[in-house]
Amino acid sequence: MVESPLAGKPKKSESAKRLSAMIAEDYMTLHQRASNGAFVVWIAIVVPAELFAGFDDVVYAVPESHAAMSAGKGVGALQCAKAEQAGYSADLCSYARIDIGTVLDGGRDSPSFGLPRPHLLVSNNNNCSLLVKWFDIYHRMWGTPHFVLDIPFCYEEQNGLNFSYIRDQFKDLISTIERLSGQRFREEKAAQAVSLSAEALKEWKRFIGLASHRPSPITAFDSFVHMAPILTSRGTRRLVEHYRMLADETESLEADGVYPVPGERYRLLWDNIAPWHQLRKMSSRLAGLGANITTASYTYCIGSLEGSIDAYPFDGTDPLAWLARLQNFSVCPQGLDLRLRAMQRAIERNGIDGVIFASNRSCKVYSVMQMDQMRHVRDTLGVPAIMIDVDHADERKYSEEAAFVRIEALLETIDARRSSGRPPTA
Amino acid sequence: MGDILETLKRYRAEGSRLVGCFPLYGPLELFHSFGLTPVVLWGLGDGRGYYPASDAHVQGYACSVARALTGFVIEHGTALFDALFMYNACDTLRNLPEILSRALDSRGGHIPMFRLHLPAIPLDRAHAARYLEERLRGLVKALEEFTGRSFSGDAFMASATLYERRRSLCRGVMDLRARGGIPSARAARIIELGNHVEVAEHIAGLEEVVGSCSGLPGDARGVRVMAGGIQAPPLELLDAMDSSNLVTVADDFATMARTHLASVSPRPDPHSYYTELYLHHPPCSTLLPSADARLGHLVSRAKASGARGFILFGEKFCEYEYFEAPQLLAAMEREGVRTLFLEIAPEDRENLAQHVTRIEAFAEMLQDGSTGG
Ligand code: SF4
Ligand code: SF4
Repeated sequence: MVESPLAGKPKKSESAKRLSAMIAEDYMTLHQRASNGAFVVWIAIVVPAELFAGFDDVVYAVPESHAAMSAGKGVGALQCAKAEQAGYSADLCSYARIDIGTVLDGGRDSPSFGLPRPHLLVSNNNNCSLLVKWFDIYHRMWGTPHFVLDIPFCYEEQNGLNFSYIRDQFKDLISTIERLSGQRFREEKAAQAVSLSAEALKEWKRFIGLASHRPSPITAFDSFVHMAPILTSRGTRRLVEHYRMLADETESLEADGVYPVPGERYRLLWDNIAPWHQLRKMSSRLAGLGANITTASYTYCIGSLEGSIDAYPFDGTDPLAWLARLQNFSVCPQGLDLRLRAMQRAIERNGIDGVIFASNRSCKVYSVMQMDQMRHVRDTLGVPAIMIDVDHADERKYSEEAAFVRIEALLETIDARRSSGRPPTA
Repeated sequence: MGDILETLKRYRAEGSRLVGCFPLYGPLELFHSFGLTPVVLWGLGDGRGYYPASDAHVQGYACSVARALTGFVIEHGTALFDALFMYNACDTLRNLPEILSRALDSRGGHIPMFRLHLPAIPLDRAHAARYLEERLRGLVKALEEFTGRSFSGDAFMASATLYERRRSLCRGVMDLRARGGIPSARAARIIELGNHVEVAEHIAGLEEVVGSCSGLPGDARGVRVMAGGIQAPPLELLDAMDSSNLVTVADDFATMARTHLASVSPRPDPHSYYTELYLHHPPCSTLLPSADARLGHLVSRAKASGARGFILFGEKFCEYEYFEAPQLLAAMEREGVRTLFLEIAPEDRENLAQHVTRIEAFAEMLQDGSTGG
């Protein structure tokens, strides 16, 4: 539904066309199956959706992903305002406000006509506990059961106790769905979905790994746009095919000398959620400056263990174990040292010249740590860095001019370092 | 509140080993049973100016509790605390441990940090109870290593007895407040003092207050209200409630009723004790499994106490409170309890006068529809 913002491309790529079709189909299928009686689950983004493939007729929707799409389609602020009118503070996460606004207004103005009403809400606290609070609102409003997965935060790598605790909770979730839906769980089907997810993530890593090439054949904006089906089509063959096609296509464009930022002069890293309302604008303005945000913590973490940027393979044995071990993959459930470890790898591997920390008041869990991260990146890694204010989904809280004043200052710093003979990346 | 720093310095000079505990509901009894003095690091922001040290580490859109805690620990932590303790009370707090240790390192200091993950799912789910048991065992072991003492069931029982006594006395102060025997501001000051004052000393102070007010006649005159939020608001606002003839018959402050309405019979086994404490804890926006009970619990407390109004002091940027606020306020209104919502940022003194006016107007509105207490 969101087009690739790749600047410099003459026309929409095959993978971008496929992406639009795929997301449209995912939402259509979701609505159709729901109206045909499927058991509908709303999940927080990191809930292991592959488990639902173990049932015959369970479909899932991801309100965060729907909110991102709404923001990308330009209705984020509109839906936020509806929630605010109902008394929800403008200081709450903008994903939540978009979703609450959408629900309160019966799906009006949503690019997908909202989401089908759930039979079960499944949230967790690994990205943030606010997802639990957010889903609780619907639990109270509709009386829909709400299952919470408790995922301990990682200051060090996930330990055995936490791993078993998480895995046990997956079993609880399975029996809860069995009980509520009357359907039986078959582990071999879930294992198949996990295996497809792992394969898709390998292809995903091949795609975002291209950011190490110079010039880079991708921008982080591509990875933002193309991450959508990881959320809506998890555990499917078409997900594998999509990422394979995306990586192949990008490689072949590169072979033909087609680059998203012709004359790339600055290679940047973005830290925080994608600025969904700014993808096209920001990418083209940056391209005009010869700057390419090639890399983003938001997307390099997908499919990796905490502190790493590499794919975590599935050995084909225990699907619940693979899912449990990956539960801390996204940046938010990781401590500062782990976040920095992964970021340093990405900086080194992708030859990053500068880092943009997008301080996002809508997502405190991602942002409250960035000041120390920035200090470390500047002082210890010797890489220039700036902080700009962004709200990932509420464009009323973003000032393009203020952001670009700082971004341009970052580019000047990089230039100054170059002319003083210091290496682009320390 | 002005002498928190002095109090802690005094303890330190007297040889106490202080553990600075992140809010909200840490296992204070356990630290105490090891001969340590736990203090809870909230209430540090009121006019104390600790933000500058925090501003280099935490953005201004984090709540004042987190920012004041950060600033306080950076500025005074090394001189005051032998250890820090944090649990997963909220997302902002869980981000702080490494920020603090880096900031302290850069000043040449270091404070050991104990951590606990408190299950965010009901403790009557078997693996949640098992998990808590394991984590508590780990904490006990870490404390044994830290203090060089072995865990003692008798010592734990004695500490738990003291804390239960304190909770019961705080309930006594709340009861006095409800009967008009003590103004809201004073009650808040006395109860919240317990965050920083050693438990035995606090108990002595509470006993004195409760004793001096015994024999008070029945109910207070005034309009009965309930007030809630994370911590009690600036005293000027509580004074405004008192002078507007509002009687706080019940509260839902995390620093007050949410902490002290808990009641657990002391026992030598920390696992059994804390399982019961957290399982039956008064509902709190940060204790995720208590969400189902919270609205009903608050509405029935308001009704049972005869409150005609409910004032919610929203802690600016505390999303835990804010996600629940609209449904909570609506539930109160449905039951005929009128509501007032005020957003409080303790460092924001400029809005105090405006808040006072709103409290006065709210009181007038309630009085118009009331025959009095
Ligand atoms: S606060 Fe951040 S992690 Fe939580 S739902 Fe919002 S965007 Fe996601
Ligand atoms: S006020 Fe809210 S956000 Fe702040 S520390 Fe307390 S629970 Fe966390």
